[in-house]
Amino acid sequence: MTAVIQTQNLSKWYGNVLGLSDVTLEIEPGITGILGPNGAGKSTFLKLITGQIKSNIGSVAIIGQPIWNNFPQFSNIGFCPEQDSFYEEMTGWQFLTSLLRLYHLPTAEITEKADKALDIVELTEDKHRSVRSYSRGMRQRLKVAQSIAHDPEIIILDEPLNGLDPLGRRKIIRLIKEYKGEGRTIVVSSHVLPEIEAMTNQIILIHQGKIFAQGDIHYIRDLIETHPHIISIKCSDPRQLAQKFIQNDFVLKVNFDLKKGTLLVETTNRDKFFGLLPSLFVENQIEVEEITSPDDNLQAVFDYLIGK
Amino acid sequence: MKSTKDVFSFFFSLAKKSRKTKIFFVLSFLPVFIAFVVKFSQIFQLSRDIEGIYIFNNMIIAFYLQFLILILALFYGSSVTSEELEGKTLTYLTTRPVSKSAIIVGKYLAYTVLIIFIVTLGVVFSFLVLNLNDLLDVSLYKILFRDVAVLALGLMCYTAFFTFVGTILKRSIMFGLIFSFGWENVIQYFPGSTQKFTIVHYLKSLLPSVSRGRFSFLLFRLEPSSTGTSVFMLFLIAAVFIVLACVLFTYKEYILKD
Repeated sequence: MTAVIQTQNLSKWYGNVLGLSDVTLEIEPGITGILGPNGAGKSTFLKLITGQIKSNIGSVAIIGQPIWNNFPQFSNIGFCPEQDSFYEEMTGWQFLTSLLRLYHLPTAEITEKADKALDIVELTEDKHRSVRSYSRGMRQRLKVAQSIAHDPEIIILDEPLNGLDPLGRRKIIRLIKEYKGEGRTIVVSSHVLPEIEAMTNQIILIHQGKIFAQGDIHYIRDLIETHPHIISIKCSDPRQLAQKFIQNDFVLKVNFDLKKGTLLVETTNRDKFFGLLPSLFVENQIEVEEITSPDDNLQAVFDYLIGK
Repeated sequence: MKSTKDVFSFFFSLAKKSRKTKIFFVLSFLPVFIAFVVKFSQIFQLSRDIEGIYIFNNMIIAFYLQFLILILALFYGSSVTSEELEGKTLTYLTTRPVSKSAIIVGKYLAYTVLIIFIVTLGVVFSFLVLNLNDLLDVSLYKILFRDVAVLALGLMCYTAFFTFVGTILKRSIMFGLIFSFGWENVIQYFPGSTQKFTIVHYLKSLLPSVSRGRFSFLLFRLEPSSTGTSVFMLFLIAAVFIVLACVLFTYKEYILKD
């Protein structure tokens, strides 16, 4: 398959701060997930490939053409920025039609495309309301709508699921998958692993401005699985529970967080751990309030991977 | 050209509804209110009868030329770029198939046309109220037309300058205030060629009749340029600053803070 987006030794600094370092990659049609903790360089990468900012070193090419100041390229690109900003005086309808007008389309086509995009993100009923009065989720959906309204071949979405409720997330994920089926190129960034996992297998792990790993998500999952996990349990008798856990060889450590009143268990095998958990609660008549995995976030995953 | 037109209609309709426009619209009607007060006091013989055109001329110089058009041009011109950066909406424009020059020129034209309209409306109403008794005197309309044209040229020129300033400076309002009420208001009274480094010099050169007003002493040092030179210089200044703004906006990198 031919690469749609190509970067060569792409590097960006903000003064003395490194934004992105020596990124060389090729993105093909389909969904590519850009995964990394906050501040990893995801947005910098997306801003570079959409020509929002200039690279200090290296180059970006979209369908073989440079992107910086190459405005005709944008007929074929849709970009959903991360920041929650709009022309607040406008209604959702005015916002979309005004932006569509910049594609030099006839009025009838503008109306048709705006209606279609609003229908896709389910904002038709609220299209004549001021953007200022929209909820966070509606604003997010409107941002997605403006990136797809002109029917682009390349769709670049920076944290598109932020602020959406579970139903909204599912709808946007389904939409992204539909676009993949049409042979388009979609680049989606997120700092939440399950979000990316729900959309694609192809991921690029980015951390501290560098591409940390690239490829199939199962490879990353396997890497993660080989490292210990911390599970936090808030229950009626944490000491008794700790005593039971420590007898198992897959439990490495138990700790008490006195402030929160929780038990922290470090395990090398999540499956065995969660398999044992219900029986321990029942047998020992322990009431459980909350089970969370404090390291089930990307920063912790990266810390594992880079061996911190 | 099509892109510029599309950007123009985008921002003209947006700016019409903005809070800023409503505030300036009210401000531009302040002279109309004053004109009403003057007229009522004349009707009820509370003040001595001064010619309407005399008050109108002073209004043009003191309020419109030396205050309102500067403020309007400053707030609209500098916002061509700065409002996109502060509002973080620049991305929506720069990811469309329109050149960055078209964005600058389209927005500049939209704002200039809008503020010319705001000013013209205030001027025309003030004129009509102050000259209520002489509305059939055709020669007065020539003065009105000339004054509106001078103010429009002033708005065109100052807005272009502040559009350029907005593309380079983050705090363009502070610089603009110093320029408007410092440089423009002081240097214009310098003798010799120095006063030609101000925009207001060329605007005042187009207003010969103004010396009849009470504030004629303000023109004490004015060594006017010819009408042709003045008009040419005003168009040249506007064109130069718009071209500079386009070049800068095209090649400068604007980083929106997360």
